[in-house]
Amino acid sequence: MPAINLLQHIAVRHAPFLIASAVLLAAFQLLICAAVGSVDVSGALETLVHSLPPLMQEIVSSQLFGGFTPRGLLAFGWSHPVTHALGSAVAIVLATRAVAGESETGAIELLMSQPLSRGAYFAAHVVFALAAIASLSAAGVLGTVIGQGVFEIERFGPGPLLRLALAYSLLQGAVFGITLLLSAFGREGGRVASGGFLIVLISYFGEAIGRLWNKAAFIRPWTLHEYFPPHDILVRGLGIAKPAVVLGSVLAASLALAWARFRTRDVP
Amino acid sequence: MVALDVAGLTKRYGAVRALEQVSFSVAPGEIFGYLGPNGAGKTTTLRILAGLVRADAGEARMLDRPARAAAARASVGYLPGDLKLHGGMTGSALLDLFARFRPAQPPVLRARLLDALALDPRDLARRVKFLSHGTRQKLGIVIAMQHDPRLLLLDEPTSGLDPLVQMAFRDLVVERAQHGAAVLFSSHVLSEVEAVCGRVAVLGAGRLLALESVDVLRGRMVRRVRVRFRGAPPPTLADTPGVAGCDLAGLDATLQVRGDVNPLLRLLARHEIERLVLPEPQLEDIFLHYFAGGRDAGD
Repeated sequence: MPAINLLQHIAVRHAPFLIASAVLLAAFQLLICAAVGSVDVSGALETLVHSLPPLMQEIVSSQLFGGFTPRGLLAFGWSHPVTHALGSAVAIVLATRAVAGESETGAIELLMSQPLSRGAYFAAHVVFALAAIASLSAAGVLGTVIGQGVFEIERFGPGPLLRLALAYSLLQGAVFGITLLLSAFGREGGRVASGGFLIVLISYFGEAIGRLWNKAAFIRPWTLHEYFPPHDILVRGLGIAKPAVVLGSVLAASLALAWARFRTRDVP
Repeated sequence: MVALDVAGLTKRYGAVRALEQVSFSVAPGEIFGYLGPNGAGKTTTLRILAGLVRADAGEARMLDRPARAAAARASVGYLPGDLKLHGGMTGSALLDLFARFRPAQPPVLRARLLDALALDPRDLARRVKFLSHGTRQKLGIVIAMQHDPRLLLLDEPTSGLDPLVQMAFRDLVVERAQHGAAVLFSSHVLSEVEAVCGRVAVLGAGRLLALESVDVLRGRMVRRVRVRFRGAPPPTLADTPGVAGCDLAGLDATLQVRGDVNPLLRLLARHEIERLVLPEPQLEDIFLHYFAGGRDAGD
């Protein structure tokens, strides 16, 4: 099957980057557990908060409004910029390379001249990216679970952890979908990646500013990061129906638009 | 039956006309030359056939299927004009990758092609980014031909190859045509098209200027012959059959010779010559012929 062959090719090509990202995310969550488990909670909080720039300190404080419990701090680990940066990097890189990056290098010309339909090419990239993002989420959750065990921190139940992994996957899936839409129109990987990165930054800081400043609160529903609430999932045990609908819709709509463009565009 | 049928192909990029009503067909076993200078529309044509670019109008069919259909490309081999490969892969991994796109057509010609193109196994073990341009081009040729395609789309295939490998490649193309493959051979080098093709389409500024046999094309070729005589140039020089123009400057003569050069050579053989330069005919001269209205003259 040509599509399976392409899928294997994409997997082999991206494996080192994905494995490194997954290990880093798991290690970071483990580090958060280590900080929470090995020092007193307020000390850990102080260490974490003071390591950030002033604006970030405000954001972190606002995200810890549920209290300085070990669970609250672990939830903070999932709102941390490092966690977002790793997930977004994977989403943006995979989306950029799928079309614009391959067009820029010219390698797409020989690939797409094979007996491989545009639908198969597009589907292979989407399937691989979503699987990669889900694996990354799983690696991060695994880091948290291992950390809780090793540092004897009160464990989360499987339900919240699954919901956390799904919400994180949907957030990064939405970032992937939007960047893939840019990629479907683009011919230069650098510009597409910059566009995806800018959207993530605007969303992240838009949500944070809306949280800190009441007059800007109207921005929050229009950001992607509003729909990834680790604190609500892990500490308050809330469901993710609304985030799943919103982020899932963004993902579906952006994939549909990207496909509409890709199926008719000229390559490279 | 035709292997490739192109009818009224038209493509514009904004205000730029890349192709305008281009039509031709290629039969099985035929090597069809596609001649034109850079920017004439050759690559656009081949990219439309390879399913990469969408034509604004017209139709292209390969092996009785619409060119855009992925299944049509199963028995087609395509060599891009500007070949780009994933630099991080080894040559052999690339060959395997592209072979796997056609599970029903194993790479039966790979060993033969590697041998003919003198592709060293050590080169195949190296990453593509460390290979020379010529070696990468050889890899591209093997990728295009290893599954023994029934239709070959070759865009400037000899680019970057040294003369010996160019000859070996041309022999391979002729051999595949003798086995029934149809070949669309795009080039801006008149001599290589003349060497292997039976018919030729001449493309200029997106339009098909001529579609004729190589013999007819050969008759239109103009050579600019330069001669320095040891004595006075023969007075009948300008009247020699085939000589279309003659500029004399002392002992030097610059002649424009169309078609057969033998009458001129027979005349020159009767005189003492100090220097004779007989260059390859240039594509530009063929184009001058068409743009100057040669088509209307019916010659």
